[in-house]
Amino acid sequence: MSNPDESPLLLVGWDFRQTPVEVRERLAFTPEKIEAVVARMRQEGLLAECVIVSTCNRSEVYGVRGPAAVEGDPLLALARYISEFHGVPHHEIEGLGFRHMGADAVRHLFRVSAGLESLALGEHQILGQVREAFRFASSTGHTRTVLNRLFQKALEAGKRVRNETGLNSRPISIPGVAIELAQKIYEDLAPRRFLILGAGETSSIFYDLLVARGAKNIEVVNRTLEKAEALCQRAGKAYPWEELASRLPQADVVVSATSSTEPVITREDVRRAVAQRRGQPLFFLDLGIPRNVDPGVADLNNAFLYAVDDLQEIAERNRQERQREVGPAMDILEEELQDFLAWLGSLAVVPTITALRRKFETIREAEFDRSLEKLSSLTPADREKIRLMAQSLVRSLLRRPTEALKDEADPTRRLERAEAAQYLFDLDLDSKD
Amino acid sequence: MATSILLGATALLLYLGAEAFSIAHLRQEKAWLGILARSLLTLGFLVHFGALEIGGRITHTVPYRDLPTSMSLFAWMVAGSYGILRLRHREGSTGPFLLPVAILFLAISLVTHPVQAPAPDPKLTGALFAFHVTLAILGYAAFTLSFVLAQLYLIQIHQIHRRKLGVLFSRLPALDVLSRMHHTSIGIGVVAMTVASTLGLLWAKQNWGTYWDPKVAVTFLLIAVYVFCLLAGRLLGWSGKRIAILSIAGYFLLLFSYTIVNLFITQEHVFR
Repeated sequence: MSNPDESPLLLVGWDFRQTPVEVRERLAFTPEKIEAVVARMRQEGLLAECVIVSTCNRSEVYGVRGPAAVEGDPLLALARYISEFHGVPHHEIEGLGFRHMGADAVRHLFRVSAGLESLALGEHQILGQVREAFRFASSTGHTRTVLNRLFQKALEAGKRVRNETGLNSRPISIPGVAIELAQKIYEDLAPRRFLILGAGETSSIFYDLLVARGAKNIEVVNRTLEKAEALCQRAGKAYPWEELASRLPQADVVVSATSSTEPVITREDVRRAVAQRRGQPLFFLDLGIPRNVDPGVADLNNAFLYAVDDLQEIAERNRQERQREVGPAMDILEEELQDFLAWLGSLAVVPTITALRRKFETIREAEFDRSLEKLSSLTPADREKIRLMAQSLVRSLLRRPTEALKDEADPTRRLERAEAAQYLFDLDLDSKD
Repeated sequence: MATSILLGATALLLYLGAEAFSIAHLRQEKAWLGILARSLLTLGFLVHFGALEIGGRITHTVPYRDLPTSMSLFAWMVAGSYGILRLRHREGSTGPFLLPVAILFLAISLVTHPVQAPAPDPKLTGALFAFHVTLAILGYAAFTLSFVLAQLYLIQIHQIHRRKLGVLFSRLPALDVLSRMHHTSIGIGVVAMTVASTLGLLWAKQNWGTYWDPKVAVTFLLIAVYVFCLLAGRLLGWSGKRIAILSIAGYFLLLFSYTIVNLFITQEHVFR
């Protein structure tokens, strides 16, 4: 397995780094497309196993080389096949994307699972997407020994990086930072009251985020009531702008994202609201540019104010912290990579055949010696005849299994046979005896 | 006595282990570190109880006869109160800040422990007296935890206000959790101290013939301060920050009561 050309593992992919979005869109896979292309590639012998990871940022095809991919460049053949399947002329994607084989393909998948190849470094949704891609491929029968093991290992590696490093411990998006801050004031956000000022795009993003987090008490105040009502279709209640002063003391977290050119919440408004809240803190996320909330609010007791610049600064700091965790994450991935490669290497055919012969020879010699002790009346010539007969017997017995291992064209099946032989005959590949 | 000291030293080592794993858990959120910290704390708490139990059997009383044993009892109550807080609020990240109190007092107790148990004072016996002292020490332990929690609350609020969002910020609990923990520990302290004071008054009437002692006045003032801490948010709309500051001030009153009042103003609450 040391020569990459011999490796059964193939990867071709296109991600956001090398491939523009308009090309990625054309190379994206739906589950139906995945099923169609994988079934065809396996039928034609291009791949023996296949998993396709397709998200908005990447389309990656992981495969085990099939019997028809023995000659030529299997990676180029695979890339051409995929581009033709999507109806994209190959010359249009020439030079875009990446192709890897063997250890490089494994390393890439591990990096993807750990979030090291993500647009937002360390984000963990990708681990779920890899898991889903694997689950889909395995449920449709497109994975076997090698990819089953590879993807299980990739998921383990991703989980280890998440648990053992700080790569994903702090948020790096503005909504993520805002939610983390809110959760440091109120641990459980679901029962809290949220007041959203404005019904534009930013408000909508936060509304979705809060609904996704299980928030039930969401109020939206907007100058145009209809827009607020449109936003509150799934949950919450809309109020006209005039009711802002009366809604403010009821809220625990205020998200302000209006297009107003002047502060819409003054220090005095907040002082009055806080006084009515019986010691409960009031948290402001001012996402308006220019600012919607008077900066003097930050000095009030029990009022906390974060503006968009503050959130951006925190997000940037967290990004730098994540960057520092890449080294420790890579150490974990390398460890898992070596583990996987050792397993894959152990399935190589030649060492298996050698171990099989060694095992049989050891048994033959032991049995021969034991039998001769009981047959002391034999002449040396007879002994030699028996020894040769035993050798011939072993050779005959091993002929068919050896051919079955060596001559199998399908690499996955070949590896499976090697694994079965190792299990059945309890072979020790490391033994030099 | 030697067995009691040996068990006390074992408990100290277990508490130190729990502290070390609590710090490690604060730095990196690995579940097994938290489990180990909890297990060592529980084991330390049980072994510490064994030390107090054996000491108590030797002296035929609750271990408060002298300052070192009362400090050991105090340390045990701190560890126990922390355990209750942890169970009640499912929050372990305050452990590294609260456990050192138990460790410090147990260590001092072991270092200053007398070789021979002091001779029993026939006046200071009976269930009333025993409950009075034990509950008072529980009250002190709970107020000590509330003192540390109030400081953690102020640290967290400072970090949020000043945008210092480092590792400590992310590991410490949310303000509302800290506030609830603070509230619980003050609640335990107020109940324990109120019952202890009432029993103490009854005992004083029986033995001294009077309720009056300067310590009584200071203790009731102390209880009043902490009761105010419990109610100020809901009734007067005080912010968590103001309540935390008042709670810290209350603890200084407690220290005043424990030192100046005991040593110079009254002679009836001195460990002899």
